Order: sequence, then C-alpha cells, then structure tokens
Amino acid sequence: MSLAGKRILIAKPGLDGHDVGAKVIALALRDAGAEVIYTGLRKSPDYIARVAIDEDVDAVGLSILSGSHVDLVRETARCLREAKADNVKLFVGGTIPHEDNPALVDAGAAGIFNASQRIDDVIAEMARVLDVG
Amino acid sequence: MTTAAELAPEPGQPGARTPSGIEVPEVATPDAVDAAHVGAPGQYPFTRGIFENGYRGRLWTFRQYSGFGSAEETNERYKFLIAQGQTGLSVALDLPTQCGYDPTDSMASAEVGKVGVSLSNLADAEILFDGLDLTKLSTSFTINGTAAIVYALYLAVADRRGIPRAKLTGTIQNDILKEYVARGTWIFPVRPSMRLIADTILYSNEQTPRFNPISIAGAHVRDAGCTAVEEIAYTLANAFAYVDELVARGANPNDFAKRLSFFFYVHMDFFEEVCKFRAARRYWARMLKERYGVTDEKALMFRFGVVCGGSSLTAQQPLNNIVRVGIENMAAVLGGAQSIFTCAYDEAFQIPTEASAEIALRTQQIVAYESGIARTVDPLGGSYYVEWLTDRMEEEMEKVIREIDAYGGTVRAIEDGYLQSRIAHRALERKRDTDRGERVVVGENFFRHAEQTTDFGEVFRLDPNVSRKVIERFERLKESRDGTAVTRTLVKLRAAALDERENLLPYIVDCCHAYATVGEIVDTLKKEWGEFQEPVRL
Amino acid sequence: MSAERALSGDERRALAREISRLANASVTDMLAAPPVVAARSARRIGFTGPPGVGKSTLVGTLVERRAARGAGIAVLAIDPASPYSKGAILGDRIRMDRAADDPRVFMRSVSSRDAQDGMCNNVADMLTRLEAHGFDEIVLETVGVGQAEHAVKALVDTVVLLMQPETGDAIQALKAGILEVADIIVVAKSDLPGAARMQQQLVSTVQFGVQRSAAWTTPVLGVSVETSTGLEALEEALDAHAQWVLEHRDAGEVRHTRARYRVQDLIVRQLEHALAALTPAECDMPLAGLYSATLDRLRSTKSG
Repeated sequence: MSLAGKRILIAKPGLDGHDVGAKVIALALRDAGAEVIYTGLRKSPDYIARVAIDEDVDAVGLSILSGSHVDLVRETARCLREAKADNVKLFVGGTIPHEDNPALVDAGAAGIFNASQRIDDVIAEMARVLDVG
Repeated sequence: MTTAAELAPEPGQPGARTPSGIEVPEVATPDAVDAAHVGAPGQYPFTRGIFENGYRGRLWTFRQYSGFGSAEETNERYKFLIAQGQTGLSVALDLPTQCGYDPTDSMASAEVGKVGVSLSNLADAEILFDGLDLTKLSTSFTINGTAAIVYALYLAVADRRGIPRAKLTGTIQNDILKEYVARGTWIFPVRPSMRLIADTILYSNEQTPRFNPISIAGAHVRDAGCTAVEEIAYTLANAFAYVDELVARGANPNDFAKRLSFFFYVHMDFFEEVCKFRAARRYWARMLKERYGVTDEKALMFRFGVVCGGSSLTAQQPLNNIVRVGIENMAAVLGGAQSIFTCAYDEAFQIPTEASAEIALRTQQIVAYESGIARTVDPLGGSYYVEWLTDRMEEEMEKVIREIDAYGGTVRAIEDGYLQSRIAHRALERKRDTDRGERVVVGENFFRHAEQTTDFGEVFRLDPNVSRKVIERFERLKESRDGTAVTRTLVKLRAAALDERENLLPYIVDCCHAYATVGEIVDTLKKEWGEFQEPVRL
Repeated sequence: MSAERALSGDERRALAREISRLANASVTDMLAAPPVVAARSARRIGFTGPPGVGKSTLVGTLVERRAARGAGIAVLAIDPASPYSKGAILGDRIRMDRAADDPRVFMRSVSSRDAQDGMCNNVADMLTRLEAHGFDEIVLETVGVGQAEHAVKALVDTVVLLMQPETGDAIQALKAGILEVADIIVVAKSDLPGAARMQQQLVSTVQFGVQRSAAWTTPVLGVSVETSTGLEALEEALDAHAQWVLEHRDAGEVRHTRARYRVQDLIVRQLEHALAALTPAECDMPLAGLYSATLDRLRSTKSG
C-alpha cells in the first residue's frame, strides 16, 4: 500500500519521553510514501493542533506510553475541532489496554495501535482510514 | 490482521548469527581460551568478575522498582516489600518530578502520580521515607534531569532525622546523556547538565562516600531497540564523556571512578547477555588504565545493576514472561551483576499488581537460593564458547566506540541527533525482523493460539483522587512554608549558577531545607541556562 | 500586513491549503490556474548549504528575532524526499520550533518530491502566493544538495550560503562554483575548531577570486547559534544587502529571471513525462528523429 502524498503529523503529547515508537512509525510512514512531520517531545494538544493547521496534514498520530492516552486524545481532538480541522484524522499508539478502546473512539480516535501489531498492518489500517488503501 | 498468518507455522533452525550480528561457530574449540588473557576473579582485567569470591561473600541486591501515586501510598508499598524480604528500595518518580514541573504546573496536569510517586518538596520526601531505616536500606532513584534535587531532598531528610550523611547508601541514576538519546527527561542544554552532574558526583563523593552518585545507563537505548553490543558501546562512550568532564574539573579518576556504576537491560539471547557483561567489565578496566592512567584496582572495577525484562516481554501470552525473566535473571547472575531487578510478567502492558510483583521477586529468590548458580565464582569462565564470544563482543564494542569518536565524540553526536537517528533506524529494523519472523518471539509472531487476545487480567487502577490529594498538599505547603527563606535560597542558587567555579549542590540542599519545590529550583536554573533544543533528525 | 497583526486561524488554514494545492498541482493545473498577483513584493531571503550545516536552526533563530521586532514572516522549508519511497521526513519545523510558534510567523514544510533542483514543484508560485498574503519577509530554505544554489538565486533577493568548518564544505563549494551565487557567506557553528581559519580562507577567496560586482562585496561571517555569536552582524549584512538590491538591481530583470525559472520548472517536469512516454521504436531512431519525436511528445503528453 502507499500513502503517497499524504501528510501526517506524528506527535508526542505529555511528558513521556519514550520516543522510539514515534520515530519508528515516522520512518515506516515515510517508507510507505507519506510526508511526515515529527514534533519532538512534550507538545501540548494546542500546539499539535496549530502545527496540524499550518502544515495542512491529513492525519495526526499521537504516541503515548504514559497511561494518559484517554485524556490526551480527548484534549487533542478538542483542539483540532476548535481549529476547524475536523477533516484531520486522529490516530493513537502506545501501551493502551483494550478496555480503553471505546473511550478512545468516543474521544475521537480513528485508529488505535500498539507495539505488538505488525507495522505493515498499522500502515494498512491508516491508509484504509485515509482512504488510499 | 492475524500476525502469524503469513509466517511459517514454526521457525527454522537457530541461525549462526547472534542478535548483535556476530557469526558464531557451530562448535567452539579449546584454542578460544587464553587463560592469561581471561585472568582471575577479582583481578585486573576482571573478565571473571570484580570479586575474588563472587557471590559467596554477598549475593546481589534484589531491587524491585516501585512507586506510584502519593508519597503515603508509596511508603506503604515499601513497607510491604521490605516485609517480603526485599533488600533495596527503588524509587519510581512521576514524570512531572522527572522533568522538573511542580504538580500544579500546566505541563504536569495529566501526569501527577502516574508512572511513579510525586516528589516535589521536602515534605513529600519526609512522608515517603517515614518509618524506613535509611542507614540499613540502599535506595535507588531512577532520576536524571532533576537528580541533583532529588539527591538533595534525600540528604535533607537524613539531616532532619539526624542521620549522618556518611551512612547513606543508594544510587541516583543521574545520567543525562542517555536521556537526550532515548528516555527524554532532559531539561537543560548538554553543557550545563554536564556541570550539574559533575557537581553532584564531586559533592556526593565527599559527603556520602557510600552513595553512588551516577548510574550510567544503557538500559534505555537497549530497550529502544539497540543490540547488546551497541548498548554497551553507547553507554561506555557516555561514561568516558563524564570521566572527561570530571578530569577537566581537576578530579582524580583513581578516586571518583570507584563510585561510578552502570545499569543495563538483560534480554533473551542468553550467551550474548552473559558475555556482554564480561566484555564490558574487561574493556572498561582496560580503558581506565590505558586512557586515564588509573592505577587503583578498586577504581577499575565495573559495577552494574540490571533489569530483566523490558521490551523482551510481550503483551501476548503474558505468563510466558515469567520464564523469560527467569532465564534473564540467570544470565545476569552469570554475567556478574551487583544488583538485579526482575520485571513483573504483566509490565509490558500495565502497572504490576501485588501478585505479579511478588512472582518477580520470587524468581530472584529461586535463582539465588535453589538453582545453585551463585555457588561458585563465574562458573562459565573458561568455556570455549563463552570466552570466544566475550572476545568478539569486546572487539565489536570497541568498533562502535571508535565510530562515535570519529564522529566527534558522544556529546557532539547527541547534540546533532546522530545517535538518536542510529537508534531509531535500528529499532525499525528490529521491528521489521520480528514482523517477518526472522526474530522469534514465542506467543507473538510464532506459536499463537487460533483466537489469541491479550488477557489483561487484573489491571491496577490508580485512585483518581491521588493527583487531587497531591495538589492539595502541595498548595498547603506553599502557604505554610517560610516564603522569604525560599526566595533567599533560590536567589543564592541563581547567583551560583552563573559562576562555573561553584559547586551547586550545597545551594540546592539549602533550597530543599527551605521547602523550595523541584519546579522552583528548576525554573531558577532555566533562567540562567535555558532549555535543551531537541535535534530531531531521523 | 501590519506588523502588529497576527495571522488568524482561518488565514493560516487557507494559506496552508493553498500551499498544499500548489504542491500537488500538475503542469496542466498550473496552466489553467488564474494568476496570483501580489500587491507589493516581500523581501525574499534564501538559505542554502549542505545538509546538517544548521540551516533550520539558524533560520529559526533569525526569524524569532525578526518576528519579535514586528515583522510578518513566512518560512518555506524544503526537505528531501526519499528516492525509494518518495516519502519524506519533514524535520525543519521542529528545529525552528519557537519561531514557528510565533503568531506573526507562518511556517510550512514541503517535500522536494520529484524536483531535481533541490526545490519543490511550483515553488515560484508558492512564494508569490505568500507574497500576495502580505508578509514582510519570506524565507526559503533549500534541501542543500544538487543545483539548489542556482535555483534559489533565481527566486530570492538575497542568498545566504552556510558552510561548516572542517568538513571540506568550502572546497566543494569552490569546485562547484557555488561561492559566486552567495550574497552572504556564513561559517556556521563558528564555535567549532577550524572556524576562524575557514573564514579567513573564504574572505581571501571572495576578495581575489570570485568578486563579481564592484558594488557588493560578499561578506563572510562566523555565526554560532549555540553561543549566540555573529547574529547581529548577519542581520546587518542582510539589511545592507536589501538596501543594495533596492539601489542596484533592476526590478524588470528580476521579474524576468523568475518568469524564466517558473516556466523552466513546468517544462522540466513535462519533459520527464515526455521522455517516459517515448516508445522503444522512437528510442531506436537516429538522433534528429528522436529529438523531434521528443518535442512532439512534449506538446502532446498529458502531465500527471
């Protein structure tokens, strides 16, 4: 599958500093043809939404390993809505217990991923949601 | 999306290459062993361990990592663990504490008390260690960006209780270089951070001679995806940077090197793990002797703690992790670790429960008291294969360190994002190898059940009131403390930060005694030093 | 745009989408598009130099300083595309994080995609579009490889060339004739060893070798963002060069150079399609026949 021409923002909200997952997915997305912007650490949901607007991205992928995923997804979705970026799809990856999935979907996540998934499956699912599969 | 669908039902025969890419012989031969090169236990170059009598004199420390929520709750958990036979405390701190934000800071909001205990001032520290005998316990803090402050808080607790500082034992991680590379709790730019670390080491060596003021860690780069060889090489490259900094400050490596300690992960390739420790111990001793002219044998000794588990554990079929941790625990012992932490089998996806934490500790006890592997010193020493692999790993480590030197040294490689980029690419490679089935993870990419889901079992949920309670106590403290004392000590600290010749630790200890908060101390230093700018480069 | 005015969310979104549209526009789309006219021209500054020399970091620091003094600034930063997947990591933004967060600053990363000259498709129109928005200054940061130096020369008023000490950058630049393109030469990371020597060498090269205009002497400046040195001098040089451009450069000539670049960009892309569309039989023709077949294709091939 290819994500050619798709622009995707990979962001690390909160204070969690384990960024290798974010970097791995950024590299894998590039290998699938996407144009990827990675924010670096400790970005607020508000900042992430602003970058999403300036860079006119198709999707935002949040990488969260601190356990604060529900709060951070909800807050980022709110900031995106306020910035009138409803068209931007929101994904989240990290250490996320299955039982939190409904809450995350409810908060606005269009895809939820974890480290034990195959990376090609993650890319395929993102492509499907972004409708380029 | 079935992971195993595209893979063969069973993996092939074991390949000739170790995870670090070393091609091993089908059978090792006697010419691999050069007894003189290997040396004797307790003697330079310490291939066979730093103690003449191995674990006979003293077993390793069983050090389990714990800490969550408020100081009160963590204190209760510590008392429980000690009653279970644990001999060392390991303090996990929440992210606001690690990154230098007070619990009321907007940056802290969602994370107070979440991945560790919130420790923002002396009042918290007094509660955290209440009723614990600090002269008997060795306390280890996983803290880096704010290590100097957390250490100062620990001293302040001892001071208040009238405990002589010289009696304190324990470790602060205090290794900022790997934070820039893999763990992310940096605060200040590299230069002033290096100064603060040197200040802490020098002050600690004088005030708390039994305390380890730094634990140079490879664990996090390893867990991020590096090979065993890279784990050691990157860590030793960082260690040399600290040694250079201390030597530039006029300190004598014959003295300070005695209190440098190391911290690594143990993953699943048993002999690579055993040999990486043997190789690292020998290489470190040789470099200190040859590059820095260290002559004191004690200063040449490579002392290290380990974690068994980490990213070698799986969220799929989590009970398999108990076996993995057991094997890794044995590798750590045969590699000669001084302290061992075993992960709970459910750590891949949740905060361990009391039951899973207990199994982790029992694993260590079984290895220590039932398996008999600690009975004789370095029982693998002289094995054709072990000595062959030790030599090869040492060569490979040296190669990587030379590459970093050629780049312009580790500090430069970190400032430019070169090391970070290398690690990210390695992590992607490792992930792809697992996806393709070239690296076997039982229960994850092979030997799955037809309908496999992750059973999360008993999930430990934090009391949602914890962060509210932490914040309330924090606000009460700010009202009740002597504000002028806080300001006075912070002003002095700021002035000292400007003067490179000053050691900042006495000033930070004063701030802590005055109940200045971690956030206030960090902000004071930020005013002079600024913040690290991340060199994102992929 | 007034100095006090920050960009609204709606303006940002509209501008961002315009740039995306241009990034994706085919030759046909461009030919059909209505012209964009800028009421007044902005000062255009281009930064070029080899990868890793610190362009983004320097641009970020400069933009932060200038925005703080009230200038409305747009930054267009081009990052290289992977030759294998055509995907890209757009990493400039994070390196100019604080500047990009200023409400008076609009920062946009673009991938070079298929462009061969270190630029991106329709870059000339992107710059005009930003100009039409009314920014005071537009900063263009190139990929820093290939022919970027010559392309950037056509598109901006002032070319700043960055080089790093002890990397052989200066020798390479000299060989490639790049020094002549620069209006200002910066020895970046000037706190590193070898910076002073490099600066000296460059000064003498510029003075005795490549001096091309009596009126403008290319300054060679040591700048270190890490230690905050040389930034004032660089800003003074930028202002001095802007003044020189105003006095010495012919506006008509500049306009025509940019028009040539703009049409060249389209034709180069069209030519690639044309070449790809040639049949094996056409490729076997004698040169004159192949040439005219290619020209025919150039006219008839539909652009992607």
